[in-house]
Amino acid sequence: MDERSRPAPEQAEMQRRGFLKWLVSGLAVINSLILGIPFVGTLLSSTATRGKAAWSRVGVVDKLPVGAPVEVRFQSSGTEAYYHRSDLNSVWVIMRGPGDVTVFSPICTHLGCHFTWNRQHGRFECPCHASVFALDGTVLYGPAPRRLDTLPAKIENNVLYVEYKRFQVGTPEKKVI
Amino acid sequence: MMRQILKWINERWPLETVIRATLEEEIVGGSRYAYTLGSALFIVFVLQAASGVLQLFFYVPTVDHAYDSISFLRTRVPFGWLIHGLHYWGGNIMIVLVAMHMARVFIWGAYKTPRELTWLMGVTLLLTTMVFSFTGAPLHWDQRGYWAGEVGTSIAGTAPVVGDLMKRFLRGGEEMGQLTLSRFFAVHTMLLPAALVTLFGIHITAMRRFGSVGPWDEAKRRTSGPFWPDQVYKDAVSGTLVLFLLISLSVFLPPAYSGPADVLDTSYIPKPGWNFLFLYQALKYFQGVLEPVGTVGVPTVLVLLMIALPFVDRTPQRDPFKRPVAMFCGLLFAGAVVGLTIIGYLSPGVAEAPIVSSGNASDQAKQTAVTAADRQGDARKGSEVFKSSGCSGCHRAGGEGGTIGPELSGKTLSGRDRQWLTDQIRNPRSHFPNTIMPPYTGLSGQEASDLVDYLLSLAGASSGSSARTPSQAPREAQPAKSMAIESRDTQFIRERQPGPAAYVIGSADHGEELFKKNCSSCHGAGGTGNVRNPGSDEGTVPPLHPIDRELYSADAQQFAENIDKYVQHGSTPAGSNPALSMPAFGDTNSLTQQELAGLEAYVLRLNGVERGQLVNPGMTPRKFFVLAAVLYAVLFLVQGGLRFRKNIP
Repeated sequence: MDERSRPAPEQAEMQRRGFLKWLVSGLAVINSLILGIPFVGTLLSSTATRGKAAWSRVGVVDKLPVGAPVEVRFQSSGTEAYYHRSDLNSVWVIMRGPGDVTVFSPICTHLGCHFTWNRQHGRFECPCHASVFALDGTVLYGPAPRRLDTLPAKIENNVLYVEYKRFQVGTPEKKVI
Repeated sequence: MMRQILKWINERWPLETVIRATLEEEIVGGSRYAYTLGSALFIVFVLQAASGVLQLFFYVPTVDHAYDSISFLRTRVPFGWLIHGLHYWGGNIMIVLVAMHMARVFIWGAYKTPRELTWLMGVTLLLTTMVFSFTGAPLHWDQRGYWAGEVGTSIAGTAPVVGDLMKRFLRGGEEMGQLTLSRFFAVHTMLLPAALVTLFGIHITAMRRFGSVGPWDEAKRRTSGPFWPDQVYKDAVSGTLVLFLLISLSVFLPPAYSGPADVLDTSYIPKPGWNFLFLYQALKYFQGVLEPVGTVGVPTVLVLLMIALPFVDRTPQRDPFKRPVAMFCGLLFAGAVVGLTIIGYLSPGVAEAPIVSSGNASDQAKQTAVTAADRQGDARKGSEVFKSSGCSGCHRAGGEGGTIGPELSGKTLSGRDRQWLTDQIRNPRSHFPNTIMPPYTGLSGQEASDLVDYLLSLAGASSGSSARTPSQAPREAQPAKSMAIESRDTQFIRERQPGPAAYVIGSADHGEELFKKNCSSCHGAGGTGNVRNPGSDEGTVPPLHPIDRELYSADAQQFAENIDKYVQHGSTPAGSNPALSMPAFGDTNSLTQQELAGLEAYVLRLNGVERGQLVNPGMTPRKFFVLAAVLYAVLFLVQGGLRFRKNIP
């Protein structure tokens, strides 16, 4: 090799150190990526478990009045992360006739408060931000972005079963969580 | 912009000075890979802190949910398997690195004046790491961790004078329980990290005060090399290798599920983690009044030896070839620890105990043989038959076994003769027309007579001289049995839901043991079936390998729920008069929920489904491994290419 093409020893040393610094940064970047992406991903990604909704037995229907909403509480077994337990849930049930039933989720579609039934005015009212819903669930006043959420329901042998679900609040479209 | 920000900071805080003080160091003799062990330890500690904090986002330190929360993290949280695996293996690797680091320091003679304090802080850091390891395992509240905690705290309890106090302090009470878990949690996640950071700070400033010790060879000491970037580069390479090793271990050797802690489980043989095996083995050599010597004396002496080292060995000579005594003592020390670890690893644990008790049974058999005129069988073998043929699945005897059938003791067996017992085994309905006990026609003549001898030994063991008349005993045995049937059937109708075991990831290995004892007599060895069941429509007991397609599911959780209903509540096969029916192991408390979870994990494994399958891995471990390996390979090739082109050595 030509003597002149070889860099001076001092320059070579500088180049070697520069190269090592570059390599250290390279290793640091790669290791940060290999660990950083999963670590951040763990905290950001969804840990939703299988959304297998099961029919819960709510109650015997012939005890329910026709035409007026009733809040019914029932036990359903649920899974949240590593907890397996039976939860007490409530729904609003409106019997419209024999075999004809509407079941509303008790959660206001605006920001997730539990609404109540105003017997005097015959409408649902949310105590948090004064959204008002008609008996059929449509929005009458207030900030609610969509009508009340209905839940799948069926009547078998005089027993009402409901598939209890929760929906995203604050959005115009109904989306299961 | 960046320059301005740095200037602004430097005017207010000595950032540049601190960085310069950290990086500017001349290393006597130049940088070396041998010096990277300390920094690798530091890197692993940072990784432990990060993965530990991430685990805290999911873990709860409660006895009823600690185990499930970790199972959840590992199987259902994206990259949870990686975080848990890194933390688990990181803890193990840390101890290996500490040992290597100390060996390096010892060989280089780096503990000598004026570096004694660095060495002493190193010893305290070793102890802190060991306590980290000890308090970490029980946090899982699985079999392994629970029993390690139980034995460890008991060992503390054998210390003279302060033993009881120490045990109570560690356990937060007399027994292992919630308060113990809370304590271990607080110590492991709060006190120890703070202690380690403080000790590390003293360790590293003490080290920097006099710098790295350098080579012992005078000729090599004339040169020197910079810490930055030379040594830092080597540190980064070592650290990356350790990290890659940890990732590989997490991918290919994920920590095994040892099943949730089960206080009632007598079959689990507790053994400490590998890093405590040498103490565990040393302990065995000191028994009786000498026990505290093993439990407290040995570790104290080991620690004192390490503390005394720089004060006893005061010669300035550092060349290992000119320190024969020190090297010999060091090798002896390391050899003893490694040797005891290996012996401890190979020893069968406390399995000696059951052999002793079965020996007693045969002694009892000999005693009863005098009264039981004709002795043809062997009670000791009979006890084995009792366990392996599934009798213990339903009958309790000698303190072990199920509760579906009556307990077999002097009370229920007295007055029964050889013929009666043989008939009962071969054809139970000749005595009790409604019994659910299956006829054991499959036993050989020798096995049956061994079994009878075992039963006679049980009868003789506690009945004493007042033998009851045969007519009295059936009345007593009968109600117990019919009650069992009744409660089983009503439960069966009332509840068809899976029980708690269905939601717990059990240990398949432990399940296999339980299966041999409780299930294989009806379902066949390994669940392969073909066991006759006269009176049932199918004619045989359903096999579990392969299992009924309706019960099978590729989803481990669903699969476990499907079979759990049967294991919990039992079932009676369709048919006019089935001889065999599935006992309700859960409802009758014959097996604990933890044991059922283990059994289910085993049955799942038989059918090719891992109970701890990754439901939501973020990325499959193998794919992650390949991706990481590719990234490292690319960097390696690029730097190689650059080295070649720019002609850098």
